[in-house]
Amino acid sequence: MEFTREIYWNVGHRLATLGPMYALLLMAMVLFAIGLFKRIKVYRLGRPLDRTDQRGERIKHMLETVFLQTKVIRVPGPGAVHALFFWSFFVLFLGTALIVLQSDGTDLLFGIKFLKGTFYKLFSLALDLAGLMAILMLVSLAARRYLIRPKGLVTAGNDAFMHGLLLAILFTGFLIEGTRMAVTEMHSPQLAAWSPVGWGVATLLAGIGEAGLRNLHTGLWWFHLLLALGFIASLPYTKFRHILFTSANAFFADRGPIGKLTMVNLEDETQEKFGANELGDLRWKDIFDADACTLCKRCQDRCPAYATDKPLSPMQVVNQIGEIAFTKPESNLIETIGREALWSCTTCRACQDICPASIEHVGKIIEMRRNLVLMEGEFPGEEVMAAMEQVEINGNPLGMGYASRGDWCEPLGIKPLSEDPEVDVLYFVGCYASFDKRNIAVAASFVKLCQAAGIKVGILGKEEKCCGEPIRKMGNEYLYQTLAMETVEIIKGYGVKKIVTTCPHCFNTLTKDYRDFEFDIEVVPHALFLEQLVASGKLSVKAEEFVCTYHDSCYLGRHNGMYDAPRKLIRSMGGRIAEMARHRDQSFCCGAGGGRILAEEKLGERINIKRIQMAVGTGVGQLLANCPFCLTMFEDGVKGANVEEQLRPRDIAEVLAERITSEHA
Amino acid sequence: MKILICIKQVPDMESKFKINGEGTWYDQADLAWRMNEYDEYAVEQAVRLKEQVKDADLTVLCIGPDQVTEPIKKALAMGCDRGVHIADPDSSKREPIAIAAMIAGFAKEKNFDIIFTGMQSQDRGSAQVGVMVAEFLGISAVTTIVDFAYDNGAIQVKRELEGGSKALVTGTTPVVLTCQLGLNTPRYPTLPNIMKAKKKELLVLAPDTGGMGARQETAACYFPEKKGGGLVLEGEIPELADKLIQLLKEKTSVLA
Repeated sequence: MEFTREIYWNVGHRLATLGPMYALLLMAMVLFAIGLFKRIKVYRLGRPLDRTDQRGERIKHMLETVFLQTKVIRVPGPGAVHALFFWSFFVLFLGTALIVLQSDGTDLLFGIKFLKGTFYKLFSLALDLAGLMAILMLVSLAARRYLIRPKGLVTAGNDAFMHGLLLAILFTGFLIEGTRMAVTEMHSPQLAAWSPVGWGVATLLAGIGEAGLRNLHTGLWWFHLLLALGFIASLPYTKFRHILFTSANAFFADRGPIGKLTMVNLEDETQEKFGANELGDLRWKDIFDADACTLCKRCQDRCPAYATDKPLSPMQVVNQIGEIAFTKPESNLIETIGREALWSCTTCRACQDICPASIEHVGKIIEMRRNLVLMEGEFPGEEVMAAMEQVEINGNPLGMGYASRGDWCEPLGIKPLSEDPEVDVLYFVGCYASFDKRNIAVAASFVKLCQAAGIKVGILGKEEKCCGEPIRKMGNEYLYQTLAMETVEIIKGYGVKKIVTTCPHCFNTLTKDYRDFEFDIEVVPHALFLEQLVASGKLSVKAEEFVCTYHDSCYLGRHNGMYDAPRKLIRSMGGRIAEMARHRDQSFCCGAGGGRILAEEKLGERINIKRIQMAVGTGVGQLLANCPFCLTMFEDGVKGANVEEQLRPRDIAEVLAERITSEHA
Repeated sequence: MKILICIKQVPDMESKFKINGEGTWYDQADLAWRMNEYDEYAVEQAVRLKEQVKDADLTVLCIGPDQVTEPIKKALAMGCDRGVHIADPDSSKREPIAIAAMIAGFAKEKNFDIIFTGMQSQDRGSAQVGVMVAEFLGISAVTTIVDFAYDNGAIQVKRELEGGSKALVTGTTPVVLTCQLGLNTPRYPTLPNIMKAKKKELLVLAPDTGGMGARQETAACYFPEKKGGGLVLEGEIPELADKLIQLLKEKTSVLA
């Protein structure tokens, strides 16, 4: 016997079925198209932005993100459930497509039927199991949303509609299969066994009798069809839209460099407005992002500002923009979102990094900060304005006299390039390591390590100025560009080949943001530079056992993916790392990013104290860092948390410098 | 309404100061320069007044070498309408009355309703220029103002006096007002205003002291002698009190 089934059994493959069916499909498609175009019209309220370059790469990234669910499963529990549901539903979609292909395609035109034999058996089994899996996963997701109710998960009417519709489609699917099998397959168990769930349903329904089953089947078939078409029609109007837009957003995703901000053209004299306070100031992608958002709250769960009771939720910012775009496009963005929310961001990128929908949270916040600073002269506090003025006057936010910038390294025999430009590397010291006593100790350790490895280091001394990173993140694009242009010109003037930084903020700015000023000199962060020196044997250190915990700074970690080199370095000097729960890409910001190093933290709990408590929780006595901002926050945090005796924050270079075995000849 | 704001460029006080070769003033190398803090309050108050009365013309004046165009530009970016640069490379050598004479020379017959300036400069700190300008122009002056209100030609200001007391003073224009810390928080210039400032008028004038020659001479300029630093007492309060009394008895005459 041939294993197959009659497609359009009972309803009939005839005009009376196909006519209304395709007419309804057409209606659904029209509704779908109207909804889609209405939304596209709204996206177009934003400024242009080209996100269609590198198409091959973009398509590849999108296919991976969608079909392998790579971003979704980064959060294992609900992520895996979603992925399984997606794959199951996709199998059902493919199955339906194959049926259409055979009955209204190959069979109709060429008399070719491929849904038969072993292939049909596997097809039948796959669809049956996929249906079962989809129901199980959907029920799990519903249980999570409606019974477990994770904190912060926003549930609206939309969600009930989606859960209900999908469940109804799946259940009616099995009921249709059951009614059909109850009539046609009850006496061929060798076939029915390949549809185990359908067979089970058929067994339950068998008592109804053929006439009743056939009537029931017809009714269910049309109902199922209406539900499925309803699903298509409702796509642009409900959160189902994420199936399209979240997928498309993977195509439109920012392709880096990670964390590089968009340049404001300050040369253009016709420009009278800077930054964003109205919808039209944003780019279309900023509006599209709101439609791609599934409210999964992963960003909010990881936001250090949100976790410390500050009025910022990255998810809310994205959705407030969406709400303005679709319901009240005249509203003021900044008034709606709130200044305090905008100033609370540390640009730690935890939100953007985890987002399964390729949403760019940080850029939006910076655009609004730019508007506040450049158009209104507003800052989160007077202390930030004072720091800006100090950078203008002295080139550093600490207000120290610029001429003493290089004083710290005079005892170490390091000269500025203006006196001796023949060096192996330029050490771009940064403001904190130049002026702040605690961080000068780190700089001195780093220089000693270089000297032990026989590397000749030079600095810019009083010619060095703030790289502009905190300034730019605070929204002061004008001052940033002034600083960047000066620094680029000075460094290029010395023909420097390689730059090392001890500050990841300087590193990120020099390697990425300065590209806008045609700056392409190699820059290496000290953690990596030292790791390479040790690994290559140029720097010999004596491994001495110790235990510590290690904090991934946002700008070495999430912004530059450097998680392993610092850990390797710590191990090479005898360290054992007791990791905090929040480490690597899940690291919790120290609170100083995004220019917050310049600002007082007035709202909610203190971020640095929260991080210090996490470090204390590991039970070890040392917290190793790789960033002067982190170190400053931690030194302050151990005092604030009253754990000065328990936990000692140190930079990796300081610990390594204690283990130097031989001075280079 | 016509307003004049007199500003000075001074070194940032965090700079590394050295005495110059002649031993008469500080050496100008390695200094970071900025607008005198008290003059920033003057600029801010003038801009606020313009925002209040709408119809006002703000002239900012600065005396000094070419580099003083920087603070003039900042004042223009903050909201002044036109700049005047009295190009005088020797301004740091001039005594206050000569500076006041130059300002008065520019201001006379121009009928400024209000002249705002800082109560003193952060570097020389003579606190004389403002009042001398008023004297030269024959108008009244109110110094060290920490609060300002204007209504149709009448002014009401609060002055800061010694010992924390304040004086409420009312008067009428024309008037010279010298501004003290606490008057306001100077604004941060917005980018469109920085750009507009580049196109504003900047008049450059030659220095003219009106025949006011040197009346004084700096004999020497030196850092204060280093004396013993302060003493920080630590411990419980009763213990601290005992220690303090003992110290006051032994080392001072306050309890004698």
